[in-house]
Amino acid sequence: MKPWKKKFIHRGNKMKKWTILAVVFGLLSAAGWMVVFAQEDQYLERLDSWAFESPRRPGAVFSHDDHIMDLDDDCSICHHVYEDGELMPGESSEDYYCSDCHSLTSAPDNKMPLEAAYHNLCKNCHFDRGKGPVLCGECHINE
Amino acid sequence: MNSFIAFIMGPMVWISVIIFLGGLLIKFFGIIWSVRQKEPYIFSYMTVRHSLRSIGAWLIPFFPKSTRLRPVYYGVSYLFHILLFVIPLFLASHIVLINEAFQVSWPALNNSLADWLTLVVIAALVFFAVRRNMVPEVKFLTAATDYLLILVVILPFITGFLAYHQWFAYRWMVVAHVLSGELMLIIIPFSRFSHMLTAPLTRAYMGSEFGNVRHARDW
Repeated sequence: MKPWKKKFIHRGNKMKKWTILAVVFGLLSAAGWMVVFAQEDQYLERLDSWAFESPRRPGAVFSHDDHIMDLDDDCSICHHVYEDGELMPGESSEDYYCSDCHSLTSAPDNKMPLEAAYHNLCKNCHFDRGKGPVLCGECHINE
Repeated sequence: MNSFIAFIMGPMVWISVIIFLGGLLIKFFGIIWSVRQKEPYIFSYMTVRHSLRSIGAWLIPFFPKSTRLRPVYYGVSYLFHILLFVIPLFLASHIVLINEAFQVSWPALNNSLADWLTLVVIAALVFFAVRRNMVPEVKFLTAATDYLLILVVILPFITGFLAYHQWFAYRWMVVAHVLSGELMLIIIPFSRFSHMLTAPLTRAYMGSEFGNVRHARDW
């Protein structure tokens, strides 16, 4: 039998293997708890997903105050206004719901459906600025 | 960190897909070329009809005789192979990402169904690993790399399952999920995973030899 193959089924290593597995599992759990506790001292509200008919994930968690601070009170970065596909600089739309313009399904007059509007606006900005959540479960935290 | 994620979920996906498809394409022409060099007379009796007949017969679950002789193994194998494609291609989270990139979309599996089916895939892979170690004639043919390849397939499913449930180290779990999925794609042309190309070629050859030369069935 080839030596590497012998090593693979060698019974004497069984204890060692379980020790390694236990250590790996312990480390992973510790990392997990650290992540869980690290998130708890941050104040986050959960966005209401009433505009979606049958959301597959819980609404995204979000801190409006943090965003106002980080974006220097420029509301129009998120609450933008588009006319004929053109961004209107300086104009903002805080008095509207996102779903007033971005309806659920895409259509010729709605190139950016609601879900894509949220995903693109949040993720693209977070990628561009190199900070903020970008993965599904970082915003859609399980309830 | 966000730029690293942007890389593995952007350019790295393209690199993986190009290696996967390009590698299989090169392998295909390499096989045709080497048959031309060594046994060109094979082409004299290969026909499209007999090739497709054999491929078709072997695509129908439990239609070939030998699959009925080992119903448990083939049953698990059929289920595994179907789910291996169905789960990733019809997973809601994957379709959302495809939709953001290409503005195309298709119906998705229910999330909790996909969750359970993922456990079925993991169980099937554990079954394959145990079988390699238990069945003497399979064990004789098994090398350490065979277990490694099972690990390569099981990793995207385990990390995907854990990431979906957000149980621990979510960000790292998704990174591991994306990287292990790309690793699997990249490894396909260079390993026995390339049977996704060579299995139909084998059937085409066997079907033609049995059907067109011996006038017999190969299923």
